[in-house]
Amino acid sequence: MLEILAQAVINGLLIGGIYALVSIGVTLIFGVVKIVNFAQGEFVMIGMYISFFLATQFGVDPVVSLVVSMPVLFAIGVLIQHYLIRRVLGLNDLPQIFLTFALSLLIVNLALMLLTANYRTVHTWYSDEVFHVGGLYIPLAKLIAFVLAMILSGLLWTFLHTTDLGKAMRAASQNRDVAQLMGINPNRVFAVALGIALALAGAAGSLLMPFYPAYPLVGQVFVLMAFVAVVLGTLGNVIGALVASLLMGVAESLGIQFIGADSGLIVVFALLLFTLAVRPSGLAGGRRR
Amino acid sequence: MKWSLRRTSLKQNRREFLVKTGGALAGAAIASPPILTRAAETVNIGALYPTTGSMAQIGVGCVAAARLAAEMVNDAGGIKSLGGAKLNLIISDVQSDTTVTRTETDRLISGNKLSAIHGCFASALTLIASEVAERAKVPIITGSSSDQLNKGRIYTFTPFARASQFAKAQLQMSKLVSDKPKVAVIFENTAFGTSTSNGLRELAPAEGVEIVMFEPYSAGFTDASPLVNKIKASGANALFSVSYLNDLILIVRTVKQVGLNVAINGGSGGFVIPDFYKNVGKLAEGLQGVAHWNHDMSDEAQEVNAEYKKRTGEFLFEYAGGLVAQTFMLADALERAASTDPQKVREALSTLDVSKGYAAMAPGGKVKFGPDGKNIYGRPVGVQWQNGDLASVFPKEDARAPLLKT
Repeated sequence: MLEILAQAVINGLLIGGIYALVSIGVTLIFGVVKIVNFAQGEFVMIGMYISFFLATQFGVDPVVSLVVSMPVLFAIGVLIQHYLIRRVLGLNDLPQIFLTFALSLLIVNLALMLLTANYRTVHTWYSDEVFHVGGLYIPLAKLIAFVLAMILSGLLWTFLHTTDLGKAMRAASQNRDVAQLMGINPNRVFAVALGIALALAGAAGSLLMPFYPAYPLVGQVFVLMAFVAVVLGTLGNVIGALVASLLMGVAESLGIQFIGADSGLIVVFALLLFTLAVRPSGLAGGRRR
Repeated sequence: MKWSLRRTSLKQNRREFLVKTGGALAGAAIASPPILTRAAETVNIGALYPTTGSMAQIGVGCVAAARLAAEMVNDAGGIKSLGGAKLNLIISDVQSDTTVTRTETDRLISGNKLSAIHGCFASALTLIASEVAERAKVPIITGSSSDQLNKGRIYTFTPFARASQFAKAQLQMSKLVSDKPKVAVIFENTAFGTSTSNGLRELAPAEGVEIVMFEPYSAGFTDASPLVNKIKASGANALFSVSYLNDLILIVRTVKQVGLNVAINGGSGGFVIPDFYKNVGKLAEGLQGVAHWNHDMSDEAQEVNAEYKKRTGEFLFEYAGGLVAQTFMLADALERAASTDPQKVREALSTLDVSKGYAAMAPGGKVKFGPDGKNIYGRPVGVQWQNGDLASVFPKEDARAPLLKT
């Protein structure tokens, strides 16, 4: 019994690491630019396809292809901020919501047309490797993904707290107008925030590729969890999103294990509602870091 | 493209086919195709398949097989009783969508003088197409397995095993792997998953199979580990997974990673297509499934498979292979009807009775329709992935390779 419980927690934490990469991106964009990016899942999908093509065409390991998928998505993020989001900032919320929503639909349907609905998998030497510890098992591909997700989150935290640009981003997220008065160029900060958020989504895609099939609609599987984690962990709070993602992975896993295999999402959303009822602004309270 | 296999056995089969259907022209099959002196009319056959959308990969394969089958009939001299009339395939994309299927079927029937239709792979689509065809009084022949297709319809013909028969075959196969099968049934919580799994649960006691876990799950999960963890805890030695491709890939990979020793039966549909093996790789070895058709069943099936493989690079999968047989069933009916009139073709299909040649490529090797349009000899074939290929392993009469107990 204890073994089953421990295994369920391990399973939850491992997938929670992937949720974290997606949700940190969403929360960063919301915190800094104040828009909800509905297309975040689609950038995970693009990251997966980049890794897929590099792996099948050039034999690049999907995890190694992070060094391509992250910069490419960073650039896409900067371009999207510059040519699309910048135009609708300062208007009311509706154009912003429709913009990212339209972007999501556009990318999914382009992918369906250009890449077809087929499932694509990459098989690496570690895809089916497993560590057995006692009666427990830890799939290597997921462990690699989890560790790298934590490292990337740590790097982001360090960036936000130690560099001028990072501090400027935090300042902009705490109070945009005051930050601007202090000489922070919002367009530059916003572009970097978008770039980093999309690069994280791209990283999630590359890290998923060794153990999850890519297909045009794959982003929507992950983005739902990301949104819940963002709200649960207090909107705009990076550490909150990280902790909430891991928590949700575990809650989902325990739900499937002990309640029923179709209850995963029920448990997650029940947890969300409960938290919102008790702490309306999320687990981290009102703080945005 | 020309249908040009030079193997003796094919020539013999072609001759057999001609003797059965055309008689007098049999000799011509060995020599070059007969030169016809009078202009023959063409026979329009509608083909409804999802060549775009989520089922596109299967739909495209079906169209390739439909073309191949029509060429085979035409190169063997067409429909002799109609002066060597050629089959003219009119292909229509139903886009993996029920609404589109309805309008496309309507459009196809009203815009062309059709003698018969075949389609549409997914039962959900075929049910719609068959409704429309029924009203328009055009016969439709299909490999779709839903038992619903045999209810209240007289223009619908189903030459292959029905869904209820698939469940029974799966249960019987589990008894080959273990004397005391303890089966875990997991299924996605949709209409497809629920109805298929309920069929398994209802038939299990009569087959003496114990079901130790019966669990719906939400389709499209991010991680199969919790579900597999649960299967492990149930102590099952066999696993029936009623799933679409993506979930099944994750389940199979995770089961192997955990080192869980269960015989997996993945059912049919997405499990018995080349794409499954491409995605799962060596882990698919030894996995079992059920199909209404398999490419190693008979000499004829193997010949058609070889040609299909030459053209597409893949083996001829269940639905596409069955579709080649269906085309020859239509040719047989047209030959006897000596008419392109859909009502007369329906009459001829209802009295179809074949036991050799391409039209009889079905598990059991015989096709004869009952009043409900069901092949009275229809039965599924149990299959297993062996060395990257799908081998027929069950029942004994249809087995072409021994079942590997992995």
